[in-house]
Amino acid sequence: MDMMISNLQQQRQVTEQLRREAAIKRISVSQAVLEIMKYITEHEQEDCLLVGFSSQKANPFREKNSCTLL
Amino acid sequence: MNELDSLRQEAETLKNAIRDARKAACDTSLVQATSNMEPIGRIQMRTRRTLRGHLAKIYAMHWGSDSSVCRNLVSASQDGKLIVWDSYTTNKVHAIPLRSSWVMTCAYAPSGSFVACGGLDNICSIYSLKTREGNVRVSRELPGHTGYLSCCRFLDDNQIVTSSGDMSCALWDIETGQQCTSFMGHTGDVMSLSLAPDMRTFVSGACDASAKLWDIREGSCKQTFPGHESDINAVTFFPNGYAFATGSDDATCRLFDIRADQELAMYSHDNIICGITSVAFSKSGRLLLAGYDDFNCNVWDSMKTERAGILAGHDNRVSCLGVTEDGMAVATGSWDSFLRIWN
Repeated sequence: MDMMISNLQQQRQVTEQLRREAAIKRISVSQAVLEIMKYITEHEQEDCLLVGFSSQKANPFREKNSCTLL
Repeated sequence: MNELDSLRQEAETLKNAIRDARKAACDTSLVQATSNMEPIGRIQMRTRRTLRGHLAKIYAMHWGSDSSVCRNLVSASQDGKLIVWDSYTTNKVHAIPLRSSWVMTCAYAPSGSFVACGGLDNICSIYSLKTREGNVRVSRELPGHTGYLSCCRFLDDNQIVTSSGDMSCALWDIETGQQCTSFMGHTGDVMSLSLAPDMRTFVSGACDASAKLWDIREGSCKQTFPGHESDINAVTFFPNGYAFATGSDDATCRLFDIRADQELAMYSHDNIICGITSVAFSKSGRLLLAGYDDFNCNVWDSMKTERAGILAGHDNRVSCLGVTEDGMAVATGSWDSFLRIWN
């Protein structure tokens, strides 16, 4: 009997969750991709892994120099 | 018809309605929509630093984000240590012995003042890095999960979100040690979580092959994303907060859009047959980096869904990776006990 009640409770939760998920508003894939492309285009120049460094001096992780005479 | 049958039937109807609504919103494909984007060419990165010091497999790493610690990262190894590294100098800033060596995750607080870790002990342990005495100590232990701790991320110095093998996620108040909110709904071990840039939601990936979007304040699941064919091991938000990527044992990474409520792209190749352990986006989101069981890290053009580069150098599985806050470098951690910094 308890199994039946908890199965019912569980199924209620599952169905209620599906009701919520079914009700959301969706945008089109074309609209979503447009916004993703816009974000990328606006930020690609500051993406060092993508565009690299103007010179190795600008790379904070460049190989450490050997000793220099001061 | 009794109530149980009626609820079951309604559930089937709703699943079909969701599937149809997604299809209706699917008016193009990512590859088609990005066909006019400039190609990016080959991405070649080199190892700039190797962080040596762990004595066993590395399971997790996380970069510091505060400007005072943005060159620091924390790593966790089953040698029973958390190490905080200065990635520039490769010096160890802190080497923290853990009470349990079965660690699976670690995190750096945004302020830089705390780190957290956890694993098969089912506990999320918080360590204070800036004590008055100058040493590092456990400042709080958060017991409560009934399964292993797979991932944790700080919202701030007093709030942390965790994911667990007990199939739930949780939001904790660190001061009181209590779980404020429990996020239930996954039907498999939750393996990974990623906080949205605005910190109001997070995405989780689980062994039930689905990703879920959660509202942190409400404690509710907003959306569920099916598609993968096996365990999801890693999730990461796209930098604009409206999409996220996943990595799975099904040998694919996928890109999902939150507002379109569906999968946009899959990143795979016939030659790639092993699972993905970790994923991260570059600063603009154009590159998706993914760590694999076959010892490599692949760099994907997220828009053309083509492989743009490969980071080869580890002698065992790449278990974790992360891109710095400013996007200048990526760190990979491996079962070979080393971390490498690349750009």
